[in-house]
Amino acid sequence: MKKIVYALMATVTGLVLLFSYRTSMAPESTSALAEASSSGVATTPRTTTTAPSPSASASSGSTTSGSTSSGTSSGAQTSSSGLADGTYTGQAANTRYGAVQVQITVSQGVITDVQVPRYPSESGRDQQINSRALPVLVKETVQAQGAQIDMVSGATYTSTGYRTSLQSALDQARA
Amino acid sequence: MSGAFTVTAPVMGTMASITVLGAGRDGDVGAAVSACVQRLRDDERVFSTYRDDSDISRLRDEGLELGAIDPRVAEVAERCRDLRERSGGRFDAHWRGWFDPTGYVKGWSTDAAAQAFDELLENGGIEAVGVNVGGDMRLRTAATSPHVWRVGVAHPTHEGELLATVEVVDGAVATSGTAERGAHLIDPRTGVHLAGPVSATVIAGDLTTADAWATVAAIAGIDDLEWLPVAPVASGIVWEHGRTRRFAGGIEVASFHDTVAG
Repeated sequence: MKKIVYALMATVTGLVLLFSYRTSMAPESTSALAEASSSGVATTPRTTTTAPSPSASASSGSTTSGSTSSGTSSGAQTSSSGLADGTYTGQAANTRYGAVQVQITVSQGVITDVQVPRYPSESGRDQQINSRALPVLVKETVQAQGAQIDMVSGATYTSTGYRTSLQSALDQARA
Repeated sequence: MSGAFTVTAPVMGTMASITVLGAGRDGDVGAAVSACVQRLRDDERVFSTYRDDSDISRLRDEGLELGAIDPRVAEVAERCRDLRERSGGRFDAHWRGWFDPTGYVKGWSTDAAAQAFDELLENGGIEAVGVNVGGDMRLRTAATSPHVWRVGVAHPTHEGELLATVEVVDGAVATSGTAERGAHLIDPRTGVHLAGPVSATVIAGDLTTADAWATVAAIAGIDDLEWLPVAPVASGIVWEHGRTRRFAGGIEVASFHDTVAG
């Protein structure tokens, strides 16, 4: 178990290091953020702990009807990745805008969510929106290609263009 | 889940798709769907630049004062001024010389229309509702429901394919770009049509915010994320000519792996 946690910490640290920051941010906004982070809002003691905790958000997909991928991959996942289910918070990394911290959720042995907690303010509402909000590029994931999608976002279509859209196909399936 | 259905309705030159989860379409639920569509249509009546008798057209053509027309116009005008300031002029409803909030109204109106489901979400009448107007959506889920909305982001140039997916419990997803309607995006700072193809998707708490900042992000283009620290948004993607940048929590996320090799 300890080994798993260490492996995970390495992963989380790796993810933190992969972030990069624009060097040409507007000066006024930079100082605003720096000021906010220096007030200590973004660095709370819990940022240094890495502990699994049962999380409601780990139970993804339970209501998105009739998943087609479940038959092929369930069962084998837990043993292949060696990750225990739960939510893990990485160590805070200091950046020019304050502490940045990554939280990951593991479900069935697979990282299902990577969250970058919003700072400097962490209101409950921000947390809820951000809980799964980092878009995952299709090319990065095998699962997304066979994914069950509820809705499609795209540049505005005309009512004529709608007819050939993915959204139209989804709507017809549920009409 | 005890049911799910989708109702579509043409509005604002595009199509609205309203998906309700956890209920049938009768009674209060059907009434809420009708009220939602009605609000979208009524806002269109007030804000359409294609109708000579809309309040927006009369404001422009008849030189009326804001106080003499529908109060929604004054509300939107104030919000547009605020957005122009915060976005450093990347959004400007006055770029033509008259007030045209077309790029703002759809998101704002969808948020207002989605309030038709307030009570049903509160009292367990429905589990969740998504209101998608032309590719921009407000997604709502009852506090008691475990539902998570899975949203596909349409690929800007490969029709029928997805660029990305994003999961949202309660919030909004908007995409602006040149993909579907040709070069309809104009940089208000120069008056020049964006050549594109460019596409920007923004996730935020409400669609007013997501839609407005998706427009800002698309206008800014892939090389300009300087607006990001001041934008009240959760995350997003900017795509241009095959290049992709993503951001979350006010910072750019340069790289990301969602699965760990076993």
